Amino acid sequence: MEVDSPDKIPRKQASYHSLDEPFVIQKETYGGQQYSQIYFARLQLLRALLRPLVTSWKPHVPICNVLGIERGKECIVVGTLYKHMKLKPSVLDEYSKERSATPITIPHKFMHQDDYLVLEDESGRVKLGGSFLLPSQYVTGVVVSLLGSEADAGYFHVDDVLEAGLPSQLEMPLKSGENKYVVLISGLNVGNSTSNPLQYQLLVDHITGHLGDKQAQGMAAQIVHLVIAGNSVEIPHGLLNKQNLASTDQSRIAEPIKELDMILTEIAAGLPLDIMPGPNDPANFSLPQKPLNRCLFPSSATYNTFRSCPNPHSFEIDGVKFLGTSGQNIDDLEKYSEGRDKLEFMERTLRWRHLAPTAPNTLGCYPFIDTDPFLIKSCPHVYFIGNQEKYDTKLIKGTAEGFSSRGYYKAASAKTPQLSWYWHLSSWAHHMGTSRNMMYGMALGSLQCS
Amino acid sequence: MLPDVRDRLPGMAPKSASMKGFYRQKKSTKSTASKNVSTKKSPNLPMPYDSDITQPAALISHGSLDLKDSYKEDEQILGRFDMNMAYGPCLGMSRQARWERALKLGLNPPEEIESILKRGKVGSVCLWEGRV
Repeated sequence: MEVDSPDKIPRKQASYHSLDEPFVIQKETYGGQQYSQIYFARLQLLRALLRPLVTSWKPHVPICNVLGIERGKECIVVGTLYKHMKLKPSVLDEYSKERSATPITIPHKFMHQDDYLVLEDESGRVKLGGSFLLPSQYVTGVVVSLLGSEADAGYFHVDDVLEAGLPSQLEMPLKSGENKYVVLISGLNVGNSTSNPLQYQLLVDHITGHLGDKQAQGMAAQIVHLVIAGNSVEIPHGLLNKQNLASTDQSRIAEPIKELDMILTEIAAGLPLDIMPGPNDPANFSLPQKPLNRCLFPSSATYNTFRSCPNPHSFEIDGVKFLGTSGQNIDDLEKYSEGRDKLEFMERTLRWRHLAPTAPNTLGCYPFIDTDPFLIKSCPHVYFIGNQEKYDTKLIKGTAEGFSSRGYYKAASAKTPQLSWYWHLSSWAHHMGTSRNMMYGMALGSLQCS
Repeated sequence: MLPDVRDRLPGMAPKSASMKGFYRQKKSTKSTASKNVSTKKSPNLPMPYDSDITQPAALISHGSLDLKDSYKEDEQILGRFDMNMAYGPCLGMSRQARWERALKLGLNPPEEIESILKRGKVGSVCLWEGRV
């Protein structure tokens, strides 16, 4: 490894703007409110977006609210969907009389063929029927507009549906000649019993340019930003449930975070870094998760390149807009609806213009009063979710506005912690870096990415 | 004639040696004043529309009947604002916050509501707050 090279390779720079303001809880105080407030805000905001779309979709059909639908008369209704699910776990099941009827194994997917959809707005709710709308494709909390009429049996027969669709997108900046990369990684799971510390070291060495020949260092110098999308530590659950902790246990709880701090210090010394909380991290449970406290990272937080960010996280680098979460929203969609793969769920959230429609129904969420921060106001250029089983990506092209957005989800897991995702800022090129690729010229063949 | 202390104190043996006398309960004979219904209500809560009995005595004794009328009217207007479902649920937030939210969401709430709220002397939350 060449250490004293006369010509240094400078790291590329890029401008960064944080767009996290809606996700940070600032002045909200809890006044005893319930979740009806956030549903009201969601319905108002999305209905205002849908109104002009509806008039151009079906110009001659009247719009009415749920109480205004009449038998045999075709109309359009805009409201929030509620999916009644038979297998959805409920806190009241503990108190039900037929305890023997509940299954002992907890299913991972709660769908049942008897699930049905209900449309709700301020005036009332109506059961939805007809074969156009498949309950398996929708979840509670999505705002849609429906064309149909009331059937004799009293339910609303749906003939067509209009979703909010992809939001508009700002122009992608013109392609500059330079190559710049953003690295996204998730699921480091520091502290996991099967993790190999050398793998983290390999990641750090590669990103900071201590690895490989001139060509590899040149590539590392093109990395302008690193985003860690959740699940950075894994604290043994057995320790957390104990009432009284022995002093050895206390230090065992702190060990993973200290190790992560050391890793992040080395990275933060070299390039700007964002860290987001995930489902397993020491942060709050409900979305939006607050940024990890700076006191957890005493040495890396001293760098101004270290940025602790909330989950969901939105930012802009050189004009390219990124939006993503640590995966809780899509994982929840997978439990309560059907789709081909995670990318399809991600596409649906973009088309519904809402990051986490199942919040607060099945996904924990703060009871906002006057706004719903999960609304996607403008379409991101890159939409990511972390902590998934495998890596995949898809380009979604919009309709009239002519834009494209690349969604992808990254692999997580202790099995492949070095799977980092490189996003090329100028073009749509991307590639997956594994620690294997970084091993040329070095006798480290024994380090396998299992 | 002073009552015998042995009849009053619970543990002591009564004058009469029988057990019936030991357990005999005596009713307290204090005269009870007629209880005023309104003492439980705090003056900050908005009053129901048509009741007069809940007015604190001080207000009536000073004879400021005009104040009472406009207070009732304002409360009626605010009550209608609370119940209007176009502005969303009223529980869990102050009336001012609900008005501001309606403004922010483009629902055009009437400005007179805000002026009534600014004037003060009305409840800051809806009638059912804390009771439902």
